[in-house]
Amino acid sequence: MVGEEIKIIEHKSIPEGVKIICGLPDVGLVGVIAAAHMISKLKLEEVAYIETDLLPPIIMLENGLPKSPIRMYGSKEIIVLSSEVAIPSNMVSLMARSIVDWAWRKKADKVLTLGGLPVPNRHEIEKLRIFGAVSDESMLKMLTENEIEIIQRGFLVGPQALILKYCAEKNISAITLLAETFFNYPDPEASSVVIQALNRIMKINIDVSELIEKGEEVRLAMRDMMRRTQTELAKMRKTQEYDVPGFYIR
Amino acid sequence: MATVRRRSIFDIIHDYIEELEEITDEIIERYMESPSWDVKAQSLEPLFNVFVSSDKVTVTVDLPKADPESIKISILSDNLIEITAKMKMKIHFEDFGVTHRRGEFTQFCCRIPLPAPVETSGAKARFLRGVLEITFPRKRGYEIKIE
Repeated sequence: MVGEEIKIIEHKSIPEGVKIICGLPDVGLVGVIAAAHMISKLKLEEVAYIETDLLPPIIMLENGLPKSPIRMYGSKEIIVLSSEVAIPSNMVSLMARSIVDWAWRKKADKVLTLGGLPVPNRHEIEKLRIFGAVSDESMLKMLTENEIEIIQRGFLVGPQALILKYCAEKNISAITLLAETFFNYPDPEASSVVIQALNRIMKINIDVSELIEKGEEVRLAMRDMMRRTQTELAKMRKTQEYDVPGFYIR
Repeated sequence: MATVRRRSIFDIIHDYIEELEEITDEIIERYMESPSWDVKAQSLEPLFNVFVSSDKVTVTVDLPKADPESIKISILSDNLIEITAKMKMKIHFEDFGVTHRRGEFTQFCCRIPLPAPVETSGAKARFLRGVLEITFPRKRGYEIKIE
């Protein structure tokens, strides 16, 4: 078990066998925007938060009350994890480990992470492609059946990468969804593409029209968080995702 | 007994790179110290990006809610440009749920340093999906013939 540096404190009881959806800050804030949209559309309530001394000394104030900036929202079947602040790069591995440890203790049915794949000419792209990776070979079919392209070979950097890896190690079913996105501009359209893929996989129907209609507002509101996230992404060497892997052994 | 190992050139390079990274981090953090808004000027600083390729420098600026007709690109010096754009509507802190600050914003404004010499006269700009893209051809010197 991971040390006590990061604790997940449940203030509402969370049943076993839930699906855990992670929307953590990364390129285009795709996951964060998607998580916020899901929390609002599914009317999820706050059920847990993350307590840690590894974050800068920051709290979130809401209606005059202190809150953890990293929180979980949920219902009986779904738990959505998101953050209001950029995750410091040196906290990413510990955080991914404690999330996966917690998912394991909760006997999670699945862990799904939502995010983006940065493409330099994103502003020229009309129809965004959606990609995926899974923790276990038997789940690959689920991607193709749901019109999600499999990433055959390439690097993945950041919280999503580690969550997928740790889930694979612990035999937890995990899916990583990545829509083409901007590197450092908030991208609600990419979030809508990711949610649509999630709709297909989970056979649910979350309406995404609002994300498109209010896209400009979302982009404006997410500006500062994107700026902070970009600094952490640089420290994580996020641009390595652009690298072509060397030495190909067939 | 402790052995004194001579530091290899790789160790020295490694230390040097680490030191450089620390300096870069410091610069980035210092830049982050100022807010992304200016109440007096009623302006917001947009997010931007600069890509350098072998033949051009491409600058993109994210301008949500900007009026495309009002976008101005000024060349301030050989390596500094300024982008301004009016917003389609006034934005208030309250629009973001923030009530403990007062101020309204009517425009975007930012200055972007260019990392390589460019031919400003050959610049092209377009506005796509709320993103402004400016492309500058890089300055060419002269060619050296291979004998």
